[in-house]
Amino acid sequence: MKEQKRADTENDQAMKLAPDEDLMLEVRNGTGETLGVLFDRYHAPLYNFYAKLTGDRTLSEDLVQEVFLRILRYRQSYQAGTPFRAWIYQIARNARVDHYRKTPRHITFEPEMAPPVMPKDSAQQSEEAELLHRALMQMPEEKREILILSRFQELKYNEIARLLGCELGTVKTRIHRAIQELRQNFKQLERGQLNSDKNSGGTKFVPPRRAGNEV
Amino acid sequence: MKCEEIGELLPDYLQGNLKAEQDDLVEKHIAECADCREDVAIWKKLSLLPVEQPSAGSRERFEAMLHAYQTGRNDKAVAELGREKRGGVWSWLRSPVGAVAWSAALLVIGVFAGNSLGNRPTHSMADQGEIAAMHSELTNMRQLVVLSMLQQQSASERLQGVSYSQREGQLDPQVVAALVHTLRYDNSVDVRLAALDALSRHGGQPQVHRDVMEALQEQQSPLVQVALIDQMLEWRDADTAQRLRNFAQSPNLNPTVRQRADWALSKLN
Repeated sequence: MKEQKRADTENDQAMKLAPDEDLMLEVRNGTGETLGVLFDRYHAPLYNFYAKLTGDRTLSEDLVQEVFLRILRYRQSYQAGTPFRAWIYQIARNARVDHYRKTPRHITFEPEMAPPVMPKDSAQQSEEAELLHRALMQMPEEKREILILSRFQELKYNEIARLLGCELGTVKTRIHRAIQELRQNFKQLERGQLNSDKNSGGTKFVPPRRAGNEV
Repeated sequence: MKCEEIGELLPDYLQGNLKAEQDDLVEKHIAECADCREDVAIWKKLSLLPVEQPSAGSRERFEAMLHAYQTGRNDKAVAELGREKRGGVWSWLRSPVGAVAWSAALLVIGVFAGNSLGNRPTHSMADQGEIAAMHSELTNMRQLVVLSMLQQQSASERLQGVSYSQREGQLDPQVVAALVHTLRYDNSVDVRLAALDALSRHGGQPQVHRDVMEALQEQQSPLVQVALIDQMLEWRDADTAQRLRNFAQSPNLNPTVRQRADWALSKLN
């Protein structure tokens, strides 16, 4: 009994150290038990990817679940030797595109544009973070996406190039342009903030009201 | 160095991919150029954005989904998928799929030979009509391939058949009927789900809506049930709510499925 338990723990340990690709092959060939380990590794990064991209936390959680459901559905299509990270982000991008195809944003999509919960270490920092969040959300989605992929998802440029199906040089150019746009947006917001501070004696940024109808 | 040249290096500078001397070049430039300096600063500032935490229920939801998937799967179909080995080109050619593909290939060769041997200088109206007829015949052939693949023994071949059907813009009513049959009666959950995906692209046909809604009552797999509910919610037909209400009252319903049906109903109201 005890030995069985130890063997189980050792097995768990081995599973926790196994490369993503090996785990995915097990998912492909088995009944999906090992998918839990991949979920533990990827659900938070994917959630962050979606949350930063869409600004909608509920939608982000749904999309993460959708990604793992798709992995199960299409696991037969996973080929040995495919880097898992690239594969899962491909699925993640498709899931989002399909979501918007099915649910056009202006009808049922309710952006929950509430700014993220900010660290409380310094008032100035959290103010900057709020502006940054808004500056990011002002950008066209494909620019925001490439910034998020390279800055927060820790994808290398060549991985992004494969993901987006373009040249490495193109990825770098796009990232540079995206940074420039973010910088300009941010500066503009900062100026607006300064002016409104002067006018109103420094009221805090009030998040925009939720758009759309409560269902 | 100019900003444009630095711009080419900047992304690599930010991810720390540059050699020491290129690194120095960039740093020298940003010491002098305010815009580029701000580009670097804004990139660094992005670290102020907090890491978002998924809610605690996220893992549970995943477990429920995985569980539904596993219980819904037909063991026989799993074994079949695992065991399957390709028998080489000959066995494929002998199979019905191969036979249809052969006929299609021969047809193409025939059309090509006919056109080049005929050696006619211009395409008359009659030719164009002929070509159109050939084209539609080829489309039919492809759809025949789908039909025969959907009848294969092996789940993965049926799966291929379903995905093959998605390449066709307009489906023959017979193919649609075959997909509906697959959605209702195929013994592999994967194949049923794929059939639903394929049918969802033909939502323009009211009959497809009715067939999908009717499939809900007889489904046993929670995963397929959930997928069907989601699809019905997306289409929002006049009788969707009524059907969902009836369905939610069926006895022995998987709790996750009941929840999903209730959730869909709340979205409809």
